[in-house]
Amino acid sequence: MEKRQKRKLWLGVAGLLFALAALLMFTGQGEESRPEAPKVEFPRRMRAPERERAERRRTQVAPPPVDAGTAEKEPARPRDPLLAALPRGKGKTAVVIEANALRHSPIGALLLDCLMRDGGKQLDEFRKASGVDPLQDLDRLVVTDEGMMLSGNFENAKFKELLGERTSFDYGESARVYEPGDTTVPQKDGTTVRRRGGGSIGTWNNQLLVVGESPDEVKAAIDRVEGRGGDEPPLLTENSTYGEMYGVLSVEHIARLFPPEQAQLAERLRAVAQNVELHMDASSDVALVAEVTGANSSEVEDLGKSLGAALSLARLQAQAGGDKKDKDLAQLLDFAKVRPDGDSFTLEMAVPLSIIQERLAFCREGRKEEAAAQAPSEEPAPPAASDASTQGAAAAPSGE
Amino acid sequence: MRPVFGIAGYVLREAISRKFILAFLVGITLVLAVVAMSLRLDVIDGALAASRLFGNELRSSIQSVDVALRPVYQGAAFIVFYGGILFGIVACSDFAPGLMSPGRIEHLLALPIQRWQLMAGTFLGVMTLALGGTLYGTTGLVVIFGVKAGYWTAGPLIAGLMACVGFAAVYAVMLTTATLVRSAALCAAAGFALLVGGIVAGHRQDISTFFEEGVSRTLFMAVTVMLPRLSALAEAAGHISASTPLEVRSLGTLLLGVFVFGLGALAVGFWRFEGKDY
Repeated sequence: MEKRQKRKLWLGVAGLLFALAALLMFTGQGEESRPEAPKVEFPRRMRAPERERAERRRTQVAPPPVDAGTAEKEPARPRDPLLAALPRGKGKTAVVIEANALRHSPIGALLLDCLMRDGGKQLDEFRKASGVDPLQDLDRLVVTDEGMMLSGNFENAKFKELLGERTSFDYGESARVYEPGDTTVPQKDGTTVRRRGGGSIGTWNNQLLVVGESPDEVKAAIDRVEGRGGDEPPLLTENSTYGEMYGVLSVEHIARLFPPEQAQLAERLRAVAQNVELHMDASSDVALVAEVTGANSSEVEDLGKSLGAALSLARLQAQAGGDKKDKDLAQLLDFAKVRPDGDSFTLEMAVPLSIIQERLAFCREGRKEEAAAQAPSEEPAPPAASDASTQGAAAAPSGE
Repeated sequence: MRPVFGIAGYVLREAISRKFILAFLVGITLVLAVVAMSLRLDVIDGALAASRLFGNELRSSIQSVDVALRPVYQGAAFIVFYGGILFGIVACSDFAPGLMSPGRIEHLLALPIQRWQLMAGTFLGVMTLALGGTLYGTTGLVVIFGVKAGYWTAGPLIAGLMACVGFAAVYAVMLTTATLVRSAALCAAAGFALLVGGIVAGHRQDISTFFEEGVSRTLFMAVTVMLPRLSALAEAAGHISASTPLEVRSLGTLLLGVFVFGLGALAVGFWRFEGKDY
């Protein structure tokens, strides 16, 4: 081959190789924009909207404490009546669920799809019978050792119709307490039935609904709201009201959640931890932060290490397992970490929203099928989820 | 192929005789030794509970050791990729101009080998050197973290091999530049320019939004479609090293594309070298 021909050949080969390289790189990298890597934001402190929310909830001016007149009078500061109603003292449990915020979060929309698979019939019946729209009127729900509390706008609630047969009496300045007794419960067919038993119920200023085992428990909660409780601070301060779910859990309650094979770890938790504060954020992904506090920092650190090791082991076992359940658990534990900080540590766990969407997809499909089945026979009613979203946030409780 | 290997061996002997190549190997050894001796990892049941560097406790979370070491491996992959290519550009920039310098080129051309074999041998020799250095460094890293943390992964090793493919494309352009101008500085400049171009090409979709729609954007896209996607390769190396999901559509195709680009650049060099009079 002549030198000139050989050179032409090299040039031709080079051109071909460059074209092939461009094609390979084009197809190999892909031209579509890359999806953002999952990034979970953990609720570690109060953010500006939550601070504003807490300020809006300071609707009650607490009466000044009674003294002999020796102490200097401080001007009364408004406070959140729900926080004031919470139990007081160590070792108690109070978990606040921000029902309104949760309902307007992506996970809330998914859960609503699951609840509304019957086309919202049960919800409509409840609305008609009680006069309360849980999607609009309910703001917060609190679960405590003693019962349950609900806050929101209960001005239209038909307490008298529902609880009229119970013995009731006015209590304190703005409360009414209903003793245990028969309750009228609405049925699917529109009729009502009477049920015996149930707890004691108290209403306060059409803002709070307290459910307890006995009238004394309900009265105690109302006493705390109206300033007749003890001097002990509430379980949760305003600075802890961040996330869509937050609260304080007793160590005993947490220890009971451990599986039997982790009994030793549960026992160490009982011995070392004094307080467990939880915060869950569901504004995008579901992220949970639990702050565990104890008296002895070295023991707390050791407990944190043991907990971190247990989570790591669980993740490895889940990764080794082949089924979908194991895969989901491994994904959940991928974000799990323990952050030691002196006499406390925080445990962080998260579930990306995409995983929850995947798991709850059947609800959305179910609603679509329901809507399609109803479409030919009746006038299509707008779904409750869109109702709520167009109307914005839930109506503010009275006084807000 | 024997002449190609012969020239590659000649390049390797030349490299070993250079003190800074030896200094580079000593440097890698020292870094590995310092990491091995100063880093202490406290692993309990697969969780990284505490870590100490030079006796000082590093403030970190307690989490699965593979998750905790992800940023370390990812960082190491980027250092190996970009640091390796940068060092390779500087250290190997005068190999080809040296071989083509007056006095030596006449001697080499007098040997019973073809001109393209001379260039291919030089390329092979430099790539062997790059591969050896990368494997030495990444294997050391894998062994150190494997022994200390009990977590073994071939990720950093694979990331190192991917860096070698990236360097192959860069060095092919440097070698071709040496056939045009016999200057180590210009060879290094060409390699550096391709590295920058490769970083831009890897992010061409994002960067293209800064150009106005029309001729300028089309021109930018047309130019960058030809360049090796080095930053995309580096990010993929980081993901492999950290055992996290890849963002590229097909890593094998991308790697092959970058390597074929290198062969294309070499073919241009062969074309130029075949017609050059010395």
